[in-house]
Amino acid sequence: MKKSWLISILTDVHLWVPVGVLILGIILLMSLR
Amino acid sequence: MSEPVTASRVRSTLSLHKLGVFCGLTAAVWLGTAEAPTKLVNAGFSPFLISMGMVMGAFVARWTVPTLLKGTGFIFSDLREKPHLIVWALLAGMLWAVANTLTIFGVRNVGLSIAFPLWNINSLVGLFWGWLLFKELRGSGIKEWSKVLGGAFAIVGGAAVLALATASQSATPGKALLGIVAALGAGVLLGTMYIPYRKAYISGMNPLSFVTIFTFGELGTVTILAAIFHGGAGNLVSELHRARPMLFWPFLGGFCWVIGDLFQNFAAKYIGIGRGIPLSNTNQLWGLAWGALVFAEFSGLSTSSKVLILTGSLVMIAGALSISMANPGASELVSWKQARERECERYGLDAEKVSAVVAGDDPLADHPPVRRWWEAVVMIVAVGIFVWLGIGTVSQHLTLNMPWMIVLVIGTILPFGLCGTLLWRRTRFS
Repeated sequence: MKKSWLISILTDVHLWVPVGVLILGIILLMSLR
Repeated sequence: MSEPVTASRVRSTLSLHKLGVFCGLTAAVWLGTAEAPTKLVNAGFSPFLISMGMVMGAFVARWTVPTLLKGTGFIFSDLREKPHLIVWALLAGMLWAVANTLTIFGVRNVGLSIAFPLWNINSLVGLFWGWLLFKELRGSGIKEWSKVLGGAFAIVGGAAVLALATASQSATPGKALLGIVAALGAGVLLGTMYIPYRKAYISGMNPLSFVTIFTFGELGTVTILAAIFHGGAGNLVSELHRARPMLFWPFLGGFCWVIGDLFQNFAAKYIGIGRGIPLSNTNQLWGLAWGALVFAEFSGLSTSSKVLILTGSLVMIAGALSISMANPGASELVSWKQARERECERYGLDAEKVSAVVAGDDPLADHPPVRRWWEAVVMIVAVGIFVWLGIGTVSQHLTLNMPWMIVLVIGTILPFGLCGTLLWRRTRFS
């Protein structure tokens, strides 16, 4: 993958919104054990 | 949607809006049917094990259905053109896996009837992300907004009424709050999962390619979670072995889920997540039909509860009709185009080709897929796994109403055939 593509991915808000929600979801799941 | 049809003359001229609505409603039928196996949670099996079984079934189906329809050559070619979307497909699979496990906690603690409408708030979450990140509904008038937003709220409201009517049948005292939190959390995760969906489709990716990668994210995540919750991979394998006599059912649920999810993906592609997801969330009606008619869950309901169920169902149907009639206008389509152009510029995609694919006219779709020998192996292995699990299945002592089951199975297969045909004639599954 080209470096510019990697930067495009890492600076894309479309990536970080789902990543943030995923982290919160995993925390919730672990606290439900 | 009224974008011009430019490709094959032999294709149907059905509007993409209508096609997307049919896909959303067919998704609802299959997603509702897929929930039935989660009832096995009450038979003493761990929620993680049920989730694992569903995901394993989904993994098998998510490889075989795209392979059967388009061939691996098409899938790999599609992925090579948009490799950045592999990240989002994996991410969506991870979100689904965590959300699916949370739904099982919800079902175990507060029952399907309460948990189901709570996680169905995902349509409102999806609608919000669609508006915020992909310019859905931007530029549309108050009339369209009312139809979509009113319809989405009607579907969630109808779901809440159904929960109220049936809550006493399935609520488990004690851990109710945890169950509600789990179901709501699942709703937020599922609603956010539609961000990768929409991103993939405005970039011209085929839903069949997307779900193929998606499945690795979900299987990997569920395997890790299940290993953690069972105290290591060794324990997990032992538990799976112990659950062997019932694994066929969650496998079957996973298979139905994949079919529903594929139609949901096509709906997200052709009418957006703001419209497509609320429509597919009418799956609660089908879940209710299975519960009431086949599993006789509500046989002791009072007349007032039955009136509530009827009211909730009618409100939900009205919501679906409202969204079905909310055809995006020219100004909204301009906003959709801007969202598409953002992806093309950011990731160097061919804007003309992406536009054609988004309009259901993938130039490659009319070429017959080149079949490879390993595709036959994939099919044989997939069928073999289901047959093997089916042979070893032990009855779970659930009382079923066979005539109603036959009616619902026919009612599930008919829209599959109809919508599949419409998709083929209009887009060649592009």
